[in-house]
Amino acid sequence: MTAGKENVDSGIPLLTVENLQVEFDTYGGTVQAVRGVSFSVDQRQTLAIVGESGCGKSVTVQSIMGLIPTPPGRITAGSARLRGHETLGRSTVGGKQIRGAEIGMIFQDPMTSLNPTMTIGDQIAEPLQVHRGYSASDAFTEAIRLIELCKIPEAAKRARQYPFEFSGGMLQRAMIAMVLSCKPSVLIADEPTTALDVTIQAQILDLMQELQKETGMAIILITHDLGVVARMADEVAVMYAGKVVEYGSADDVFYHSAHPYTVGLKEAMPMNDPARQHVLKPIDGSPPDLFAPPAGCGYCPRCPYAMQICSERQPQGHNLHGHHFASCWLHHAKSGRKPETIFFKDAR
Amino acid sequence: MWLYILKRALQGIITVWFIATATFFAMHNVPGDPLTNDRAMTETTRANLESKYGLDQPITTQYLIFLRNLSRGDFGISFVQENREVNDIIREHFPVSAILGVLAVVFAAIGGVLFGALTALYRNRLPDYLIMFLVILGISVPSFVVAALGQLSLVSLNTLMGFTVLPVAGWGTVMHMLVPALVLGLSTMAYLTRLMRSSMLEVTSSDYVRTAKSKGVPPTRIFTRHQLRNAILPVVTVLGPAIAAITTGGFVVELVFAIPGLGRYFVEAVQQLDYTVIMGTTVFYGAFLVFMVILVDVVYGFIDPRVRLDL
Ligand SMILES: Nc1ncnc2c1ncn2[C@@H]1O[C@H](COP(=O)(O)OP(=O)(O)O)[C@@H](O)[C@H]1O
Ligand code: SF4
Ligand SMILES: [Mg+2]
Repeated sequence: MTAGKENVDSGIPLLTVENLQVEFDTYGGTVQAVRGVSFSVDQRQTLAIVGESGCGKSVTVQSIMGLIPTPPGRITAGSARLRGHETLGRSTVGGKQIRGAEIGMIFQDPMTSLNPTMTIGDQIAEPLQVHRGYSASDAFTEAIRLIELCKIPEAAKRARQYPFEFSGGMLQRAMIAMVLSCKPSVLIADEPTTALDVTIQAQILDLMQELQKETGMAIILITHDLGVVARMADEVAVMYAGKVVEYGSADDVFYHSAHPYTVGLKEAMPMNDPARQHVLKPIDGSPPDLFAPPAGCGYCPRCPYAMQICSERQPQGHNLHGHHFASCWLHHAKSGRKPETIFFKDAR
Repeated sequence: MWLYILKRALQGIITVWFIATATFFAMHNVPGDPLTNDRAMTETTRANLESKYGLDQPITTQYLIFLRNLSRGDFGISFVQENREVNDIIREHFPVSAILGVLAVVFAAIGGVLFGALTALYRNRLPDYLIMFLVILGISVPSFVVAALGQLSLVSLNTLMGFTVLPVAGWGTVMHMLVPALVLGLSTMAYLTRLMRSSMLEVTSSDYVRTAKSKGVPPTRIFTRHQLRNAILPVVTVLGPAIAAITTGGFVVELVFAIPGLGRYFVEAVQQLDYTVIMGTTVFYGAFLVFMVILVDVVYGFIDPRVRLDL
């Protein structure tokens, strides 16, 4: 197999999420955690979902996997389609289990995400027994091979050890081996490197990219680290307060940012490049209360470019260039402002 | 692992020695002695008896003799029951207490794990409310009340059926053991149920159970492979103290159900200040409990791999 960006099959994307809405009933009221999220991802592609914590990234991907605890959670609208087949509310598509077989997921904290009283090998072998009908011993042998594939030294010995005998980085490799066992078509990685050292982070990301090249799987990578986005992503979805506020190719979102929040994120990020050194500028304020989402743009109180209309009505989505999309009143013809001239350093 | 067991055994021996010493001095500080009773006794008779039992020796000498005999496993002869060796009393009556206790612990552990898991599974639904109501009852009602109620319901049952379904008191067959063991284990079962419930709930919302779900593992397999073993750990840690609680609680149950266990002798010996029997039974119970606690810890090491390596 070779890496490429050609469209597969009939031209429908591998995974499409449309207008996803998720709520949680809590003692304090109903939280509208996800308020109409759409994106799609193709084979061999990496989609990064960025945004500050609490903006609904995890809830979005867990909804696709059917991992939202119900109650308190509730998917109130939207669809998620894998090769055109609905996955929401279902456990299989086309006779294959969604969880584990079609879509695999790795989590933020590898230390707590593995069963402390089960050997690593048994945990990696488990999906093979469940989805492929392997015998326990065949599955274990295959688990050792997968551990090797994920570059954990002394695979046979490591397979018989328990999670507490592993370092964080090695555990995340084991998680990847586990997810890979049934060759899923989509890998969801929810902040896979946030809990790890910087050098280990890079190794894990490299491993994911390498395995993507070999298997052709799509990756949905959740992160709030723009450095990770720049390194990995083909496509980027910027989320804010339960919505996607900007969406497009990594180049578009980075170099032709079309939403004030994206610009804010960039200014708050340290950069290695001395030529582009800048004073770090954190975004002041905090996201809106999702118990009672505002009538207008959720970013309004923090936005340096906010206008009268912003606090009154939801901004519409604007398609800018190709499939580059931003949801901001500045792009409206009547705003009388040219976003490019306000915050685009590299005008198109 | 072996090193660990050896270490724990040494600690155990020191603990037993400590129990023996404390009991010895506590007892000799109680006013009166085994020869004080209603019968009038001349000075000479008393002196003769005292010298026969060594009671005229200084207390340190008595202590050393006691320790020497103890190290040989000889607890001496009862003061009250003429010519009866303490070892014979223990040999004859301890097995009864042990069977009752072990059966009670088994009831408590199995019931606690089962009901605890059940309440967690049906959290905030009818089975949960029902069992938790019973648990609160089981924890708050004292064992002599439960024992009496248990016996009373046996009587009613037998009268209702017109024949003896289960014997009301006594000892001998499995039928005699069931209800007393259940009564004896009840409060521990209630306590373990509550512990298992909260432990199970914690495990259910853990990251690794979410991982198992995301792998597509079916719920029954998640329950058996991922939840049960982890949830059971806190229950196993309290099993040592639970055994202690059940063993001491056994005295009451033995009295109510007229079971010829060691408990009755222990209580009678204390009332009559029968030095050797008190010493013998106390030290023996102490050693038994220490052994059970060590056993539980070793079993824990087999269930939890994290402990296994530290040992
Ligand atoms: N089980 C839950 N119960 C109630 N609220 C929840 C639950 N899970 C998530 N939420 C809410 O959903 C919102 C989004 O959470 P999440 O998707 O985890 O954010 P993040 O972008 O950091 O991954 C948060 O405001 C959180 O309070
Ligand atoms: S809609 Fe208005 S407030 Fe919201 S980001 Fe755009 S300019 Fe700022
Ligand atoms: Mg998250």
